Amino acid sequence: MTERGTVFLVLVLAALGAWLWLSRAPRPASAPPAAPLLRVPAADVARVELAEGDERVVAVRRDGAWADAAGRAWDAAVVADLIETLRGLAPIMVVDAAPADPADYGLGPGATRLALAGARGERLLALDVGERNPAWTGLYVRVDDARAVVLVGAVLRWEMEKLRDARPGGKP
Amino acid sequence: MNGFRFGLAALAAVALVCGRGGPAAAAGDEPWTLDANNWQEGKDLLPEPVLKRLQKGEYWFKVVPVDPQKFHHNYSQAFWDATAANEGKYDVEPKQCGLRDKSTGKIPVFVFGLPFPKIDKNDPQAGCKIAHDFNFAGLQGGGGGATFTLNGVDSGGQFRRVKAFLHTQGFQGRHFGPLKDNPENLQGQALGGAIEPLDVEGVSTLTKRYWDWESQDALWAYVPSTRRARRVNASTRSDPVAGLDIFADDLNCYAGKIEYYRWKLVGEQNILAPVLQPYPFPAKPVSPTRQIIETPYMPAGYEVPNAKGAPWWIQQNLVFIPRPVWVVEGQSSDPYYNFGKVIMYFDKEMFRIYWKMVHNRAGEYFYTAMCGYHFVKNDETFSAVFPNLVVGVNDKTNRSALGGRYQSSFLEQHWDPAYFSLRTIAHMTD
Repeated sequence: MTERGTVFLVLVLAALGAWLWLSRAPRPASAPPAAPLLRVPAADVARVELAEGDERVVAVRRDGAWADAAGRAWDAAVVADLIETLRGLAPIMVVDAAPADPADYGLGPGATRLALAGARGERLLALDVGERNPAWTGLYVRVDDARAVVLVGAVLRWEMEKLRDARPGGKP
Repeated sequence: MNGFRFGLAALAAVALVCGRGGPAAAAGDEPWTLDANNWQEGKDLLPEPVLKRLQKGEYWFKVVPVDPQKFHHNYSQAFWDATAANEGKYDVEPKQCGLRDKSTGKIPVFVFGLPFPKIDKNDPQAGCKIAHDFNFAGLQGGGGGATFTLNGVDSGGQFRRVKAFLHTQGFQGRHFGPLKDNPENLQGQALGGAIEPLDVEGVSTLTKRYWDWESQDALWAYVPSTRRARRVNASTRSDPVAGLDIFADDLNCYAGKIEYYRWKLVGEQNILAPVLQPYPFPAKPVSPTRQIIETPYMPAGYEVPNAKGAPWWIQQNLVFIPRPVWVVEGQSSDPYYNFGKVIMYFDKEMFRIYWKMVHNRAGEYFYTAMCGYHFVKNDETFSAVFPNLVVGVNDKTNRSALGGRYQSSFLEQHWDPAYFSLRTIAHMTD
């Protein structure tokens, strides 16, 4: 090969290298772990309300103990379990950023709503809770009145059932 | 492959005539069938994911009545006498739920029978005490083994089959008192190995569980291709066994050390309990220390022409008995353990776990295991309970794995002290 040919090949190689370098896909930034649904210490929660249609299950922290709206004592462990679960659960995925009909996910009017508030009544978390996904591994929810439907672990359903079952005075 | 260490065991059963389900039958005095036609009657008797498959016609249940008193006596009188004598002797230390002798404040030297004959549901430590009772109910046989299969099954049928064996020796909880020599201070030890297919033949594991509150289990796995026995972490018990939808911790529905989990009693109910038959099988002595138990095979849907239901659903020789259970949550304290919250259903009297629902660390429910048993008793001086079936179902992938279903198992009261060793697992294929 002639000297000219060698130089030409080197130039072609350099051009290819530059093209590869410039055209490579940007490296995706590693996604930060999704934030948990409830981002405050459990001690900051002073009120838990689970509303399903006309039914309300309410737990209010008074002098360090949980009681219902009528002042009847709760099994504190059940309320604590729910709060700890919400502090550990993070959205697994956004299922539908802009649902045409939220009722498709069980999030239409009358959907179950779980609301947590602080001592001064400030909202700490509001979850609209819909259906389970087809495999029952998770639940469709909307967080803090956002439009997007996200999937969270089905353990939330288990904790909500525990709360219903443990309500002071039993199930209505 | 390290999941073989706590293998699963086989089983068999007694075919029972099943009548048509109906309100009268469901009342409890006649055998009846729970299926898609009367699924509502199973509403409060099954975990929800199981009920869903029942409703869809994938599962059905032969429900047989059981005499509670007779069922109680599936365990020997010696066991129940020891249980009664344990009243008030033990409590649990608060840090790790370790069993504690009240008189010394230390771990007991030897325990036989249920350490907590009475469970008070208002006791904050009730979940932990239930777990200890479960452990000691399972330890009563003292040791033994079986050769069994693991079958991976999906909607198209079986996609993998592994044949393996498991041998165990117990130092705690056994009838006839403690063994003379326990130089390693063990609660028990186990040796398991794969026999088929060729690609896993010789893969074997050795497990030693120490009789203390703190130590992790010591686990070694041997892979013939590397000719090395390697120490593995105890959290691998939550890894799939041989790539199947079954986990080493599925044996008895919980095979870990009690102190690994945080336990919480969250409820009580009745549930359908899977058993090969409600009452004990006899054991046949074959040597001064060994007894053999023959049990029938439990074919699953993929093995039976024109089978009803899911391909992994057991078709014959499995019956269900309604039993009162404690509902207990367990969660591992090991950050490397794959499972999150596990919900388990413990028999209130016999302390077997019949079902468990498993969430992953992200809180997603993904897996249910059904754990079946058979009882062994010849007289009132000795009894044992064997895990003979695990049906693990991954609802995320809609796949299942069956473990156990052995037709022969044995009880061994005197193992060669050198058997449970690294030398044994390293020379399995010699």
